[in-house]
Amino acid sequence: MPKISIDERTIEVPAGTTVLDAAEQLGIEIPTLCFLKGYLPSTSCQVCLVRDRASGKLVPSCATKIVDGMQIDSETAEVHAARRTALELLLSDHVGDCLAPCFFACPAHMDIPLMLRQLGNHDLHDAIETIKRDIAIPAVLGRICTKPCEKGCRRSSADDPVSVCELKRYAADADLASEHAFAPECAADSGKRVAIIGAGPTGLSAAYYLRQRGHACRLIEATVQLGGRLRWETDSETLPRGTLDAEIAQIVGLDVQVETATPVDSREAFEKLVDSHDVVLIASGADAVKMSDEWSVDGSRRGIEINRETYQTKRENVFAAGCAVRGKCLFVRSAADGKEVAGCIDQFLSGQKVTAPPKPFASRLGRVATEEMKQFLAGAASVPVQTPNTSDDYSDEQVAEQSDRCLSCGCVAHGDCRLENYAARYGADPNRFGTRQGVYEVLGRGGNVLFEPGKCIKCELCIQIASQSQDALGLSFVGRGFDVRVSVPFDGSYDEGMGDLAERCIAACPTGALYFDRKAE
Amino acid sequence: MNAAVGSAEKVVNDTTVIASPAIDLAFVDQTVAVHGGGPEAVIPILQAIQTKYRYLPDAALQRVCELTEITPSAITGVSTFYTQFRHRPMGRHAIQVCRGTACHVKGADLIEEAIALHLGLKPGEDTDQQGQFTIEPVACLGCCTLAPVVQIDDATYGRLTPQSVPSTIRGFARRGSEVKSTRRDLRKRDFSTSGSAVGEIRVGLGSCCVAQGSGQVFDKVQEVVTSIGAAAEVKRVGCVGMCHQTPLVETIRGDGTSRLYCHVQPEQVEEIVLQNYQPTGIVSRMRTSWSKMVAELYGRENGAESSVEAVSPKEGPVCEFLGPQKRIATESCGDIDPLDLSEYQRHEGFVALKRCLDELSSDEVISEIERSGLRGRGGAGFPSAIKWRTVRGANAETKYVICNGDEGDPGAFMDRMILESFPYRVIEGMAIAAVAVGAHQGYFYIRAEYPLAVERIRHAIAECEAAGLLGDRILGSDYSLKFSVKEGAGAFICGEETALIHSIEGGRGTPRLRPPFPAESGLWEKPTLINNVETLSLVPWILRHGGDEFAKFGTETSKGTKVFALAGKIQRGGLIEVPMGVTIRQIVNQIGGGVANGRRFKAVQIGGPSGGCVPASLADTPVDYEALSSVGAIMGSGGMVVLDDTDCMVDIARYFLRFTQDQSCGKCTYCRIGTKRMLEILERICGGEAKKGDLDLLEDLCQSVSSGSLCGLGKTAPNPVLSTLRYFREEYEAHLAGHCPAGKCKNLIAYHITDACIGCTLCAQHCPVDAIPAVPYAKHVVDVDLCTACDTCRVVCPENAVEIVRRTNA
Repeated sequence: MPKISIDERTIEVPAGTTVLDAAEQLGIEIPTLCFLKGYLPSTSCQVCLVRDRASGKLVPSCATKIVDGMQIDSETAEVHAARRTALELLLSDHVGDCLAPCFFACPAHMDIPLMLRQLGNHDLHDAIETIKRDIAIPAVLGRICTKPCEKGCRRSSADDPVSVCELKRYAADADLASEHAFAPECAADSGKRVAIIGAGPTGLSAAYYLRQRGHACRLIEATVQLGGRLRWETDSETLPRGTLDAEIAQIVGLDVQVETATPVDSREAFEKLVDSHDVVLIASGADAVKMSDEWSVDGSRRGIEINRETYQTKRENVFAAGCAVRGKCLFVRSAADGKEVAGCIDQFLSGQKVTAPPKPFASRLGRVATEEMKQFLAGAASVPVQTPNTSDDYSDEQVAEQSDRCLSCGCVAHGDCRLENYAARYGADPNRFGTRQGVYEVLGRGGNVLFEPGKCIKCELCIQIASQSQDALGLSFVGRGFDVRVSVPFDGSYDEGMGDLAERCIAACPTGALYFDRKAE
Repeated sequence: MNAAVGSAEKVVNDTTVIASPAIDLAFVDQTVAVHGGGPEAVIPILQAIQTKYRYLPDAALQRVCELTEITPSAITGVSTFYTQFRHRPMGRHAIQVCRGTACHVKGADLIEEAIALHLGLKPGEDTDQQGQFTIEPVACLGCCTLAPVVQIDDATYGRLTPQSVPSTIRGFARRGSEVKSTRRDLRKRDFSTSGSAVGEIRVGLGSCCVAQGSGQVFDKVQEVVTSIGAAAEVKRVGCVGMCHQTPLVETIRGDGTSRLYCHVQPEQVEEIVLQNYQPTGIVSRMRTSWSKMVAELYGRENGAESSVEAVSPKEGPVCEFLGPQKRIATESCGDIDPLDLSEYQRHEGFVALKRCLDELSSDEVISEIERSGLRGRGGAGFPSAIKWRTVRGANAETKYVICNGDEGDPGAFMDRMILESFPYRVIEGMAIAAVAVGAHQGYFYIRAEYPLAVERIRHAIAECEAAGLLGDRILGSDYSLKFSVKEGAGAFICGEETALIHSIEGGRGTPRLRPPFPAESGLWEKPTLINNVETLSLVPWILRHGGDEFAKFGTETSKGTKVFALAGKIQRGGLIEVPMGVTIRQIVNQIGGGVANGRRFKAVQIGGPSGGCVPASLADTPVDYEALSSVGAIMGSGGMVVLDDTDCMVDIARYFLRFTQDQSCGKCTYCRIGTKRMLEILERICGGEAKKGDLDLLEDLCQSVSSGSLCGLGKTAPNPVLSTLRYFREEYEAHLAGHCPAGKCKNLIAYHITDACIGCTLCAQHCPVDAIPAVPYAKHVVDVDLCTACDTCRVVCPENAVEIVRRTNA
């Protein structure tokens, strides 16, 4: 059998094997977008390039047959750079947001479109789960948040933004009122102990997420009541204390050890905490900086000095977040900090390298033209925005209707998109070749299958699959060169083009170009 | 820009009045009956439908799918891939505007703008309101020496200027329907007289000669010879190569002396004939006219000069032009009738094939090719013998040979000329190749833009079949060999061999990864030998004279001769064949007579979109595969476009990138998107909008596209950019600083009228956009905002008072 080596590792494979298959047998993962087992390699994406040492040339591994004695480089800087460039070129022609603008606008990066979709489907339980993945105190924030998400909502440039905050509040209220309120699962006890100084939005949130990871939390509050600035910076009309208490109770209910009226006001008290805990988190608000000397951490006019990536002070087991480091910030920022610092502390406690919360890779649409906005609006409910008056909350129907106003800006394939995942892995810069020029459009409205040509990478897989159908019209490339696009012959619909094989076509699509219309189900 | 795609997507102005013909599906049925219903029939069927309706009506395509194995998906994919096919009705006449290199450097953009202006087209439109004319840019019409060129239906017009556009179009419209085809192939051609000592009058009738009026001259010669009964046969010959001298007439008297007449006008024909031949059998009517003529001639000899004078091939420009050339592929150039099989045979035609069948073994034939050192003339220069031997050695019952006649490089037209002028030679070369490798079926793949070449090869194949040179048991041997013609449909990429194979198979012309090479698995997965036209045309000579004789010409690694299309800013453009090893300078200065109009010789673009620009300082580089690639160019198919100091090198790079970007099949990421991004950067640089870092990004992209693309088109697309960056980087940098040194890039220049203006108002009268108010007897001023930089004012100014200056605020 022919013998080849990939990255200096040798393997014997039968003649006719491709480099890609040989690499797989060696456990070397070569990225591919346009290749799918069982179909002809179209050698289109060129993301699977490897270097053949004999010729010095880059070749697509999916279609290159091995030759005895072949030496291949896969994991080298040169090969990675070529893959990255291929990804960057594809991204330069990519029209779509991986993540909706509201994702970036929300400091807590809550998955707003998912929540809205769930609310649109009357699925309250899933919605609250989605919310609480990123926000520990939604009923509270639903009343006092300054709503940066709505300012970022794409729909605000057409008519009015989706009432994200109200809908979130509605979901949280409903959850609080229900018999089986949502309670996250907490991992088994890790044996690690965290002392949290301050029970404001940051400290409460941190406790909520640390407990879920199995770490014991001791919440130490200087005053007699939990809530911190949630209590003294709001009035009870805006934020009914019952709601505040209920949400705090949900957090404490995760087996959080609480000590009120316990100021940590001396060096000794602080050091005792440090000694008796694996980590101390300073979340005691803007005044914390006054204690920086006592606590042996650095402070500036703004607040306690931390490594902005890791929330660590100069003492690696002492973390700080929220107003303690920012001086002044939005409530939602404090809540977001609590979640993020919990992640960093968890990394620290489990012996991992402490890193900043990963910035998701994102292809971004940026400003959209009027015509493009029409494309978005066509997929959303056309009702005007509505806010409930205080006495009378939304009806179930209104919730669904208001949620359906969402333009679904984010990509259906987010998280599952091979282009997105490889772009993140290879550190591709989506704007290396300039900002996007393609036009956003969604084809196939009215049918089951929608197609976004701007996200298509011309891999040919759907065309190959559709051609196997007995009854479908088939799909075809139309035109050539840069303007080539996938289309249905004779002005057929995408449903007709793929027929019974639509599901396979959609599953094969390496990006989010092809999908079932959620509204059509 | 991208005509193929645009046509499918863009909606023409609704008000355009174009009558859609009623769809006669019976025609579709007949067409299918003729071409068969296999998947490979799709292109011929589409061509037939388009010829009938002038576009592809959906109903007709659906009918094809009902009747054949061709799927809706296949017919859609194929019909939108090739530029030739239209999906919406077109005007009654097609104006094809050549975008070849030579036309580009001679202002094809301005011509295109002038036509659009004349037809009143708005952006995005291609057909005028009356539905008379549709404008279609084409990659190259292959009439480079007549640049800039347009073709209206089948009439070619050369050396256009923006000013001559309206009259050209009006002139065409006036000719109306009574005009006869400019192709003079199938008309009766033998015109012998009763006289005993018969002379010969040869008229060059290559496509570009015809565009220069050779057709009318040919008609006139026939008319005159008949009417005065001159003892001369009128003979159509192929391209003579001296495109700068056309129309060309050569007279051979009964005693064998010959004379050559250049730039012949129809009204001079009578005199030329009379200078050389005695009239015989004169009728009285003729006698009268004859006396009148003699009197005129006599008068002239007594005073004025004769209106026509023969030029001597022994001295002067013609001698300089022909002197350094060596004709092998173009042997007997200007002597023989392209379609006269017996004449080709009298010139040792098919002797080599006969030997290959009767005397030589396949190995001996291939060894002869190997000894000759023959390398592919299509571009890459792969040793032909290796290819032949691989196909020969492939273990398969069925093998194919293909003649790659998809010459697509803008600026190259030697393959067209060889196909048109020496069809039998190419057939013989291909037959020898077929016999040597053991193939019994051969295909000529010829691009759609070369209708005359297609016609002549078809005709020649038929003649050969009739003469037993092709068909069953050729030349009395037991070897059977069939050739047929496949027409391309307008896709440069089909010159790439795997794309060409897909096209013959009836698919979109997209290349595939090699290996496997076509020699192992080609057409219908059978071993296939693909050689270029020029390569095959050299084969009979090599077999007749021996490989060693061929190898006497040339350099260490590049043997024999190479045909070049010499065009651009040159005194004497034309089709030349030179021994390998001559220098670029010899070609430009000696053969070409140097740069035209007293400008400075700046560079030569060699190898088209895959090639590069060789600066004048490196003009002593010899014509040699390795030497050319070491200076950043390639031998390519042989386009050689001379550039002078008014040519902007960034613009040249952009021109080629536009071409490759437009011709990219769109399959692989690097080429599809990479060339587009490169072009955008070049557009920014030419437009004065480049950003800092753009040059670095451009260079990075060049490297990436060249190493990451799947096929040769993408891999070589960056070459024109790389070579201009290498030798003319300062021009790129000048553009970044807002200055186009050559005064070519419209956004960076302005037209300015100097104090030399005498107020004659000519510029104002000619300005197509009224950017110059007419102020008699006063100095005129150009409104920079209205000006489209069409250059008309500068050309018409009798005082040279219009200058191109640096644009201050864009």
